[in-house]
Amino acid sequence: MTNQQSPATKSTSTAQNILIRVEALTVQKANQVICQMPEMSVTQGERVGITGSNGSGKTTLLRVLAGLEQNFAGLCDVPTARIERVFVHQTPFLFNGTVLDNVEFGLKARSIAKSERRERAMSWLKRLGLTDLAHRAARSLSGGEGRRTALARACVLHPELLLLDEPLADLDPNGIDCVLQSLSHLPNSTILISSPKPLPAELVNRTIEL
Amino acid sequence: MIREGFRDALLLLWHLDTPVIDAAVRSLWVSLLAVAAASLTGILIGMLLGRKDFPGQQVLIVLFRAGMSVPTVLIGLLCFGVLSRRGMLAELELLYTTWAIVIGEFFLALPIIATLTHGAIARLDYRVSETARTLGAGSVQRAVTYLRESRLAILLAILTAFSRCFTELGIAMMVGGNIPGRTQTLTTATAQETSRGEFARGMAMSLILLLIAMAVTVAISFLNRGREESAS
Repeated sequence: MTNQQSPATKSTSTAQNILIRVEALTVQKANQVICQMPEMSVTQGERVGITGSNGSGKTTLLRVLAGLEQNFAGLCDVPTARIERVFVHQTPFLFNGTVLDNVEFGLKARSIAKSERRERAMSWLKRLGLTDLAHRAARSLSGGEGRRTALARACVLHPELLLLDEPLADLDPNGIDCVLQSLSHLPNSTILISSPKPLPAELVNRTIEL
Repeated sequence: MIREGFRDALLLLWHLDTPVIDAAVRSLWVSLLAVAAASLTGILIGMLLGRKDFPGQQVLIVLFRAGMSVPTVLIGLLCFGVLSRRGMLAELELLYTTWAIVIGEFFLALPIIATLTHGAIARLDYRVSETARTLGAGSVQRAVTYLRESRLAILLAILTAFSRCFTELGIAMMVGGNIPGRTQTLTTATAQETSRGEFARGMAMSLILLLIAMAVTVAISFLNRGREESAS
């Protein structure tokens, strides 16, 4: 059982413009295989859908790629700095504070000046139709609003790799439109989106079935 | 006797009786200082116990839990041993000063705050840590996030520790010496006044203790309600 991740193979991957390379990946929990991916490679800037039924291992795969799941066998090469890999949970956790505080969280971690932080956060809240909720307590939002807040919190960072776990669940058609438009503002990000259902063609370049 | 004592006690409080107010103010600042110091240390220890894995961690957790039920007389006795003439810290000459009571109450509050903080941090939703990490938060920002997410529980721990310190008798008696005007606290003064037959004054002091204990209990109830609401 091998478990390899990033730095060692960094140069090879970047030379081929491949951002993610997975080979014979297996994740086991309590002696049960919960995720298997024989082979997968994703190039920079690609938008890839990961579909499959419940329990097929979509979330686990994204967690491995995000670096949140360390116990796996096989090769998972993601030569992207940890800070450039952003994962959004299926049921996102919103911190205590306002919607704006949440969206500014990652920017604060990157030591971005307050005025720029505010400007960037507000522009993403606008894109996701959340401007009016900026100063509302994040915990008082509905499921769909919370999901959009979490998406704004991730997108505002313009990460190299964005991993979205079922971002369209609970969203009405209007919310789905917002997500589609928002992700179009991240042309340089590689985005992986998991979903139990087929994803809209305008959202992903290709789909991998688990 | 109780009815008369109660009436006289109210009169003493109304006239801001010097011995009563003196003991109340001393009790308050001694407890506040001890709890402030224990909060700084205990929250840090609780965070470490809740978030880091290290050898001996489980032993420490059990020791701090056990520390919550140590009798105040025993803490007072140990402090006396350390601060007395033949003790390790005799040179500091702290025995029978209010600082000795602060030290003793610090050790009374520390396990309460450390244990309850540890519980609050360990019970945090796993997504708090993962979300902070994936958004790029460094160790300091993550620690601040954990504190913010469990702030009600930590505040509750501090209030519980304050309530325990403010109403304790053993430490103040053993290392404070119950010296009127110098080291006398509400609890030690109540005991002394009652044994001297000054029942009304003892009752006045007890009323202040009761009032503060009730205020803390009400605050704890409010915080608990807030916690339940934010959890639901």
